[in-house]
Amino acid sequence: MECVVQGIIETQYVEALEILLQGLCGVNKERLRVHEICLKSGPNLGFVASEVRLLCDLEQSEPTWTVKHVGGALRGAGAEQISVLVRSMVESKASKNVLRLFYALGYKLDHELLRVGITFHFQRGAQITVTVSSVNKMLKLHATDEAVPVTPGIQLVEVTAPATSENYNEVVAAVSSFCEYLAPLLHLSKPGVSTGVVPTAAAAAASLMSDGGGTTL
Amino acid sequence: MEGMIQDPSQPASQPQQQNQAVVGAERLNQALQQQLNLESVKTRAISLFKAITRILEDFDAYSRTNTTPKWQDILGQYSMVNLELFNIVDEIKKVSKAFVVHPKNVNADNAPILPVMLSSKLLPEMEVEDNLKREQLLLGMQNLPIPSQIDKLKARIDMIAAACESAEKVLADTRKAYCFGSRQGPAILPTLDKGQAAKIQEQENLLRTAVNFGEGLRLPADQKLITPSLPLHLVDIMPATDGVQSFADPSGMYMKNTPLMSNNIGSQGSLLQATGAQLIGRSAASPSAATSATSYDNTTTSPLPYANSPRSATTMMNTPSPQPQTQQLQQQQQHQQQQQQQRQKMMQLPQHQQQLLAQQQFRQSTMQGLGQNQLPLHDLQGQTQQKFQSLHGQMQFSQPLGHQQFQGRQLPPGHVQHGIGQSQLNQGNQLSRHLGQFSSAANTALFNAAQGTPSTQMCLIWDPIQEALWPCSHSHSSSNSSHSSSMVHKLHSVIWALPRIYNLIWQLFKITPILHSKDSRTSSDISATSIDSFVLWMSC
Repeated sequence: MECVVQGIIETQYVEALEILLQGLCGVNKERLRVHEICLKSGPNLGFVASEVRLLCDLEQSEPTWTVKHVGGALRGAGAEQISVLVRSMVESKASKNVLRLFYALGYKLDHELLRVGITFHFQRGAQITVTVSSVNKMLKLHATDEAVPVTPGIQLVEVTAPATSENYNEVVAAVSSFCEYLAPLLHLSKPGVSTGVVPTAAAAAASLMSDGGGTTL
Repeated sequence: MEGMIQDPSQPASQPQQQNQAVVGAERLNQALQQQLNLESVKTRAISLFKAITRILEDFDAYSRTNTTPKWQDILGQYSMVNLELFNIVDEIKKVSKAFVVHPKNVNADNAPILPVMLSSKLLPEMEVEDNLKREQLLLGMQNLPIPSQIDKLKARIDMIAAACESAEKVLADTRKAYCFGSRQGPAILPTLDKGQAAKIQEQENLLRTAVNFGEGLRLPADQKLITPSLPLHLVDIMPATDGVQSFADPSGMYMKNTPLMSNNIGSQGSLLQATGAQLIGRSAASPSAATSATSYDNTTTSPLPYANSPRSATTMMNTPSPQPQTQQLQQQQQHQQQQQQQRQKMMQLPQHQQQLLAQQQFRQSTMQGLGQNQLPLHDLQGQTQQKFQSLHGQMQFSQPLGHQQFQGRQLPPGHVQHGIGQSQLNQGNQLSRHLGQFSSAANTALFNAAQGTPSTQMCLIWDPIQEALWPCSHSHSSSNSSHSSSMVHKLHSVIWALPRIYNLIWQLFKITPILHSKDSRTSSDISATSIDSFVLWMSC
C-alpha cells in the first residue's frame, strides 16, 4: 500500500521548491529520469483488464527496471476524510527482460511517458519520497530522446510513502504534516482532485530565492 | 524591569519584602548557588556586554564613515544579543525566588507594587547614581537661580522632543517609500485573473489525467511507426529489426479483424500465458506484414537450430519405439487444440510455413487452421501475436516443443505453443493420421539425437531457464527444400505418435520425480530420452 498526494507547480517556481525541499528534507536531491511504460492486459487474460507499469530508471549508468502494479484506493467515509490517497500498490525490481516477459504474457502497450526531474527520499515519520518532475510524452514509439512535455509550464509534484494496512494512519499523518510545509508554494491533493495554483507562490518563491541567508550568528 | 539582586547578607536596611532567604545564613544556599551558577551568569553577562559594545562601536564607525550599514547583519547581531539577554534573564528568573529586587524605575509592572514598598530611602547605590545624574544635568547651571535652571531644562526637553518627532517622521516616510506597509499584517495577496486561472486549470487537468490515466499519451494507430533507433535501455531488449511497433489500442486489437483474428487472438492469448522464462529472449513482434515478411526472410536465411542436424528427415524414419511418443504428442495436440497457434513457431520456421501453405491445397481441412494462422501473418498488420518473433530465439524453438511435450506432465495446459498442426485444427483424427506417418521418423531422429547428448537434452527439456542459458548450439544451415519436406514428414509422424506419447506421459506421471533428476538413469530415462530426442527432432 502507499499513500500518495499530487500537486502542480509552475515551472518558474520549481527552483524555489527545490530550495525549500532541500531545507525540509535534509537530504540532497537526486536526479530523476524514468521511462514509464504502462501495459494493459486484454480481456482474454483475465476477467478484467489489468494494468502494469514498468519503470526504467535511466539515470543510472545501467538502466534498472521496476515493475509496479497500482490497485484500488481505500474507500469509505473514513477514506474521504483523509486528505491523502491510500491505495494498494505492489512494486518490485525486475530484470531488463521484464518488458519482453509481459509482452509474451499478452500485455499490450497502453501508453508511455518520461519523467524528468528531481527526487528526495527521506525519513520523517515515514519513509517519504517527493518527486518534482516534468511529465513528457513521446511522439514516436519509445523515442525517449525526443520527448516533449505534456504541459510545458507546469510540473507535477508527487509525495508518496509506502504503508501497510496496519500503519497507514501514521503514514497519512506524516505525509499530511509534511505537505503543510509546502503550503506557501503549492497545494497537494489526492490524485484526480485538481487544486490549482497557490496565490502566495510568487511571494514565497521570491523569498526562497532571495539571498536572504548569511546572517552571521 | 530593572532590578538589583540583593544579597541576603546585606545590612538590615532592606525592604521588608524579605523572602525566604535562609534565616541566619550568611551565604546563599548551596543548591541555590549551584543553580544560579553565578560564575556562568557573570561570564555571560560580560560577554553580552562586550557584544553590545561591539555593535555600538560598529554604529559609530558607520556614522563616521558614512557608509550604509548592512542592516541584515546588524539585525542578526541584534537578534543574537537579544536572545542571549533573554536567556540570561530566564536563568535568573528560575532562582529569583530567593532574591528580592528593588525596582529602579517605575513602569506598568511596578506601579501597583511600589506603594506597598515602604522604603523611605533609596538604596545606596541608587542614591549615588541619582546624585551623579543630577550633577551631569545641572553641570553649567549650578550658579544660576532656580527658575533659569528650570527654563534651561525645559528648553532641553523640548529640543529632545523635537528630535524624537522628526526621527519618527523620517521613519514613517521611509516606510511608505519602501512600501513596508504597516508593521502588522501581511500585504494583500495578489489574485490571479480569471483567464490565467482558467488556463492553469486546463493545463493541470491535462497533466493529471496524463499521469494518472494516460490520457493524451496514447499514440494513434496510424502513428505506430517503428522507431528507427531505440533508446539505449530498450535496444538490447527489443531487436530493432523486428521493430517494436506500438500496438493499437487493446480495444482496437480485439475488435478489428474480428473473424480471422478472433480465434487467433483468443488462442494467442491463452498461448501467451507461457512461462516467462521460456519466452525470455523473444522480442515483441512486429505486427506489420512488411516486417514480418522481412523477419521471415531473416529467419529463413539465418540458421535455425536444428535445420541441418543429424536428425534429418531420412534418418528420422528409422527410430524405433514410436508408441510412447505418439501418445505424448497426442496429448500435446489435445492441449494445443484448446490453445491454438504459435506465431513463434511460424516465425521461426518459414520453410514450414511455406510447406504448410503448399499443403493447404492438399489437406484443406487440416491445414485450414494453419492457413488461417498464416494469412493473418502475411496480410494483417498490427498483429501483436507476432510477438514471438525472435532473431536469436532460434535455439528456443526446441524448447517450446519440449515444453509442449511435457505439458501434460509438468506445465499447466495453457503453456506453450507448439505450432505444428495446431490450434484451429480441431480435427484430431486427421492430425493423428498425419502425425502417425512421421512417428517412426520422429522417434528415430529423436532417439539418435538423444543418444548423442542426453544430458544436454535433459537439461533443455526439463529446465526452461537452463534452456535459455544453454541453448542447443548446433550448427545449422538453412536448406529450405529439405527442411520443408522434412517438416511434412515430421508433422505426420507427430500426429501418429500422439496416442503413444499420451500413454507415455501417463506412465511418466507416476514417476515424475525421476524425470527431474539428471543423474538417475532408470528405465524411465530411456523413455525420457526418447521423448527428448523426439522433442529435439520436432524442433528441426
